[in-house]
Amino acid sequence: MLLARFADYSLPATTKDQLILSNFEQTASASEFDRAGITNASSASHHGLVPLIGKRGLLLLSWLAPVTLVIIWELAAKAGWISPQVLPAPSKVLNTAIKLATAGSLLDDLRVSLLRAATGFVLGGSIGFALGILVGFSRIAEAAIDRSVQMIRAIPFLALVPLVIVWLGVGEAEKIFLVALGVTFPIYINTTLGIRQVDPKLIELGRIQGLGPFELIRRIVLPGALPSILTGVRYALATAWLALVVAETIGAQSGIGFLAMDAREFLRTDVIVLTIAIYALIGVVADAIARLLERRLLAWHPNYGRSR
Amino acid sequence: MIAHVSRPPSSLAIDPPAVVVSNLSRAYGNRVIIRNLNLRIERGEFVALLGESGCGKTTLLRALAGLDPIQAGRIVAPRRPAVVFQEHRLLPWDNLWRNVALGLTAPDAQARAAAALAEVGLSERLNDWPRNLSGGQAQRVALARALVQEPELLLLDEPFAALDALTRIRMHDLVRELVARHRPGVLLVTHDVDEAIALADRILVMRHGAIAFEHRTNTAGSTISRGDLLAELGVASHLAA
Repeated sequence: MLLARFADYSLPATTKDQLILSNFEQTASASEFDRAGITNASSASHHGLVPLIGKRGLLLLSWLAPVTLVIIWELAAKAGWISPQVLPAPSKVLNTAIKLATAGSLLDDLRVSLLRAATGFVLGGSIGFALGILVGFSRIAEAAIDRSVQMIRAIPFLALVPLVIVWLGVGEAEKIFLVALGVTFPIYINTTLGIRQVDPKLIELGRIQGLGPFELIRRIVLPGALPSILTGVRYALATAWLALVVAETIGAQSGIGFLAMDAREFLRTDVIVLTIAIYALIGVVADAIARLLERRLLAWHPNYGRSR
Repeated sequence: MIAHVSRPPSSLAIDPPAVVVSNLSRAYGNRVIIRNLNLRIERGEFVALLGESGCGKTTLLRALAGLDPIQAGRIVAPRRPAVVFQEHRLLPWDNLWRNVALGLTAPDAQARAAAALAEVGLSERLNDWPRNLSGGQAQRVALARALVQEPELLLLDEPFAALDALTRIRMHDLVRELVARHRPGVLLVTHDVDEAIALADRILVMRHGAIAFEHRTNTAGSTISRGDLLAELGVASHLAA
């Protein structure tokens, strides 16, 4: 069943992948693989040298490569092998970050970007969830809505950017609209999918125990659909971020993307690298929040729950 | 209608029957599954229903449970029956007491669920997840969930079929004890002849959608051999012995 689910939601991902495949998305789907038990990385840890190194050792080891890379980058930049115009040293980027945060508009821009992402996410998420519930429960709603949604979904949503700009200009509305658009579909698809996957035997049991339709949904259908819905949330977080980057890069007077485009005018690669790092960081944080949600809400699930 | 001969001696004469089925028929398209079936189960009576696969016994159980609409005939049961299936059907996202309390509307639902879990020997694990249970333990929870409803009719759809032999024997003892205490009418659908002999007051064999054989195990002097029952089920006795 998990395998089937993976196959299913990998479909929308591939259409997105044709455009831009963010690293974030790649890692997200790779860890879904682990969860599904297809490649079981954790089982490997019971063999070979692992007992000698220990858990803490493995953690250190996992940080070895990225830290080394940054050190080499720093040294190469300091030695003058890489022109600062091409790639500034990490220390320079860090300096810029501190300067911009204290004297510049970095924090304001960050706030603006996060607000756009959050607004779009809530908006698109609500629409996707509501449509998903409707279609998941009602064959009539499915017949009426699903085909249209699937057809719109087939459009890579970033291809709509020019049209959205014509409609809404390059203001806040355009950015929030794009984020919402990107968020709606993963939430919609995974909500309907989750509802469909609820074991009919459990629903039958609910009826035997005398649950009414409302209680049936609350006690059985929604909890059963939750793993799938949360998977949708994780995907949606990735697309929300992606949509925001694109929207802010195209035309903005504030936000992280504006900072990057503004810096491009003046060839300030340090600021550009900084914005990229911030995007990455927020992506990681968003994913961590989604994982935390999963662990909390799906404590009962053998693939998610850590504690009994 | 099957004649109602004797009640189990301890039952009160004023109890209404747990269920009365009259002239029940059911067909899927042209295929008749249940043919004009009559059945009466008293409160406190344990009835086992045997029959080969496809003889209609599961269809009968589902009709009694109210899961399938009735096409012809009547089923009179005082209240919604409780069912235990072959699979435990516990909600994986609810802990044990919430599973047992599913459908209970009384304000003391949690206390009742706790009491029911204690009855099946799982009082220590009220807040545990179903996935941490063994097959036998999960079936015990399913049994608690059925009995906490205080049903007048308890339907058991091969509830022990997936358990190992030792666990099954323990479950038999538990079920016998619980049924004696709560006194619902019980209809046990099973493939297991020994299980039927061990548990039931009355054994029915269903064939081609009708009850073809009936035997009371609790009547004095009446015993039925495993071989005889198997013969009724269409298994040659030299194989069974």
